[in-house]
Amino acid sequence: MEQLTIVGKPVTRVDAEEKVTGEAVYGYDLVLPDMLYGKALFSPKPHARIKRINTEEAKQYPGVVAVITGKDAPWTHGESIKDKPFLAQDKVRYIGEPVAAVAAMDEDTAQAAVRLIEVEYEDLPAYFSPEEACKPGAIPIHENFASYRKFDFIVPGSMPNVCEHFKLRTGDVEKGFREADLVLEERYYVPVIQHAAIEPHSSHAQVDPESGRVTIWVANDAPFRALHEISEALGLSQEKIRFINPLQGGGFGSKGGLKVETIAVALAYHTKGKPVRVKFNREETFISTLTRHEAVIHIKSGVKQDGTLAARQMTLYWGAGAYAEKSPTVCIRGSLPAPGPYRIPHVRVDGYAAYTNKPVAGSFRGYGIPQGAWACEQHMDEIAKKLRMDPVELRLKNIFVDGDLAYWGEQLHSVGLKETLIKATQAIEWGKPPGFPASQLGGEEARRLKPNIKIGKGFACISKPTRTPTTSKAGVLVNSKGEITVLAGTVEIGQGCSTILSQVAAEELKVPLDKVRMAPLDTDMIPFDASTTSSRSTYHMGNAVRRAAIDAREKLMEMARPMLEAKNEELACSNGKVYLKDQPQMALPIGDVVRRKLGNDGIVRGDASYTYEIGKDLDLETGHSDHASAFYMYATQAAEVAVDEETGRVRILRMSAAHDVGKAINPLNCAAQIEGGLAMGIGSALHEEMVIDSQGKVRNPSFLDYHLVTSLDLPEMIPIIVECPEPEGPYGAKGLGEPGLAPTPAAIGNAVADAIGVRICDLPLNPERVYWAIQQKRAKGSSRWLTEVA
Amino acid sequence: MMMKIRITLNGKSISLEVPAHRLLLDLLRDEIGLTGTKEGCGTGDCGACTVFLNGKPVNSCLILSGELDGAEIVTIEGLKIGPELHPIQKAFIQDGGVQCGYCTSGMLMMSKALLDENLNPTEEEIRFALSGNLCRCTGYAKIVQAVQDAAAELRRMRAEG
Ligand code: FES
Ligand code: FES
Repeated sequence: MEQLTIVGKPVTRVDAEEKVTGEAVYGYDLVLPDMLYGKALFSPKPHARIKRINTEEAKQYPGVVAVITGKDAPWTHGESIKDKPFLAQDKVRYIGEPVAAVAAMDEDTAQAAVRLIEVEYEDLPAYFSPEEACKPGAIPIHENFASYRKFDFIVPGSMPNVCEHFKLRTGDVEKGFREADLVLEERYYVPVIQHAAIEPHSSHAQVDPESGRVTIWVANDAPFRALHEISEALGLSQEKIRFINPLQGGGFGSKGGLKVETIAVALAYHTKGKPVRVKFNREETFISTLTRHEAVIHIKSGVKQDGTLAARQMTLYWGAGAYAEKSPTVCIRGSLPAPGPYRIPHVRVDGYAAYTNKPVAGSFRGYGIPQGAWACEQHMDEIAKKLRMDPVELRLKNIFVDGDLAYWGEQLHSVGLKETLIKATQAIEWGKPPGFPASQLGGEEARRLKPNIKIGKGFACISKPTRTPTTSKAGVLVNSKGEITVLAGTVEIGQGCSTILSQVAAEELKVPLDKVRMAPLDTDMIPFDASTTSSRSTYHMGNAVRRAAIDAREKLMEMARPMLEAKNEELACSNGKVYLKDQPQMALPIGDVVRRKLGNDGIVRGDASYTYEIGKDLDLETGHSDHASAFYMYATQAAEVAVDEETGRVRILRMSAAHDVGKAINPLNCAAQIEGGLAMGIGSALHEEMVIDSQGKVRNPSFLDYHLVTSLDLPEMIPIIVECPEPEGPYGAKGLGEPGLAPTPAAIGNAVADAIGVRICDLPLNPERVYWAIQQKRAKGSSRWLTEVA
Repeated sequence: MMMKIRITLNGKSISLEVPAHRLLLDLLRDEIGLTGTKEGCGTGDCGACTVFLNGKPVNSCLILSGELDGAEIVTIEGLKIGPELHPIQKAFIQDGGVQCGYCTSGMLMMSKALLDENLNPTEEEIRFALSGNLCRCTGYAKIVQAVQDAAAELRRMRAEG
């Protein structure tokens, strides 16, 4: 391969300067000329029929321009199931569902008018656990589910409130259990958490009264999906809809799909052409956007005495919340690899996504992998304990390696898992007694005086697929100054895509990075991209930009041929110039090539599209596909923890994270992604939880009560980059955005169990839960602690 | 109640007529149009809205405009030194302390407040100073590194006079 000049280098971010000066304009900052201000009224009931809405008083309030309810916006939308109204229709299904909305001259007025809207409800029975919601006899949260439009792959099955039933069938698990020397069965639980991007949600919308054109300004991570969904809901052709993306202050999956967008669009139909801005404050963001799926997971395994896995059966109940949003695909993509990155001959998985009367669950960094790993990887340690085997040895006996046939029927390649396992565990000195300097615990002396501090180590492995098959298209423009503009629909959500894609374009056109800029994202101008999700961008959009840049380069070389008086000589490109391979002094800067051929305002454009062509959907009966994912990401994280048995407080002493990224296009950015993922994973392990009470109300919708990790909460973090190249990926790259937090809670859970000798099956590992687990062990000698699911 | 106030904002003196209950954060963002100061919570819990008020860092979402007559305010837009980025800004870029960037203004202002008082902070002191500024993207390690590097640069600049 040619020597790489910019790809692989830890260059600083191309978007950092505008962010450190405060010049960058985010969705929440955007002010449009003449705009009105929207506010919504949210349901106070988890499940109720709307008997009557009175908006008269609100309409009379001075400064109010429009007051609307579901009747004024009779549309429903959804990605795979069209089940969600723009504003509640006839009934509400969770506390926080938008019921009515006001547009006014300013925000205070809109808010005051919202308070004047009266709604009368009639309560209905509500469900707050996915397992409960799909028990026989449960009443349906969506009475008309059967009539909703759905994607072909949706298999709701026969249980009440189940919007997707995923099945994986490989071998014969009963046979596997019979042949096993040990059979172990457990149940794990992962609660609802939230993305909590520091920028809250907002959307602006405008409807042109003459043309009917709808323009939406929103920091959405999948503008083309959103456009498609709005178009289907409104019955409006796609050309009549335009999405403009201001910068996004973090998303982690929460800013895909339509939430606040539908309120803005509905209002914009009643403001005579004026744009409307709807901003959710932090509390509204907590209760009325998206959450991560809670999951109840049953896992049963059969193992041979030597540690070989014989069979595994899993049943996963995913709490969808009130509307389907991404639940069917989270259920499919999260349940599929839940049995872990291991060779297992007999596997049976049933994943159920069940409606509940809780806020809507959506995509969240990791897409179901963290939940599955929480169960599977702790279960693996329990097996190791029963077999008196080192957990590393147990993994090494079973983990995926190159050439393995995964239990979903795909032959794997480029598997860097083993290397991540070895490196992550080495980094915390696995197998050695607490390697951590005792001084950090208050000195050797202090530790002897504190027998209540227990040290433990643990780790967890994961593999993660990406959405497949999907398409990314890109354009690369070269002007007569030799400047490059990249047209790509990947959204800069903080992950660094603008830097990565700029590096790719700079690499292929052989120009310095500061010659490249990313075009702003506007669906009128930018070619299609499936979404900025699933860690798919570096691979898919990286391939598209790379090919578009090569296309532009080839066009430039063709144009330069007569200028350089080249006949059959081979041309090459480097340092921003096209030249004759054998006579490098015969060279022309690429800008000159454009100018001489097309004039000062000439532009050469390269285009490309990338799809992982052989990607195949999973078989609906068996869950099998021989190309289920364009690539797989592998990771192992390892933790050393100190648990205070008197208080139940868990302190992480150090944590390593080894990630197989294929090829690090920007090692600095990779380390940043890993550290950020770890921090989020640590939060979800130790304290994050949306506390939803028995009436369906979120009890902690603020940063005061929903505890995000702060600068004081984090241990020494050791990011480790493993490069096991993916042949199809650009320069060998895979993806990295999501796995950073996926194995984290399980690794910490294993370390805590190692420290205190009790297995805690529910997250988060907050002091209260850990304390009671220790107390129970002391009282009853039990080595398991399982709280009841609320 | 509308109130007339006079403030110094990023070195410039301005007069305004504002509702006394308007939050400083909204005054800056909505009335004056300086959106570099961010809103993450509006309730004093995230630090994204940190600005300098009379030389001290404050959460601008907790300050009412009515209290501001005669106040001196510096926002992220006033952090540059002339046309040059402040060493703290440079260090955040160099060390990868910026991802989505939404917490960055607040982080930079709080870091400056720390370094104004202590040019030689330990890692503990940096972590403590920034503990009220939430970041959901970075894991803080690179931010802490950036503050350390900025401190070293500021010490060097001071030594050179
Ligand atoms: S917006 Fe002021 S502290 Fe969060
Ligand atoms: S960089 Fe995104 S919140 Fe800090």
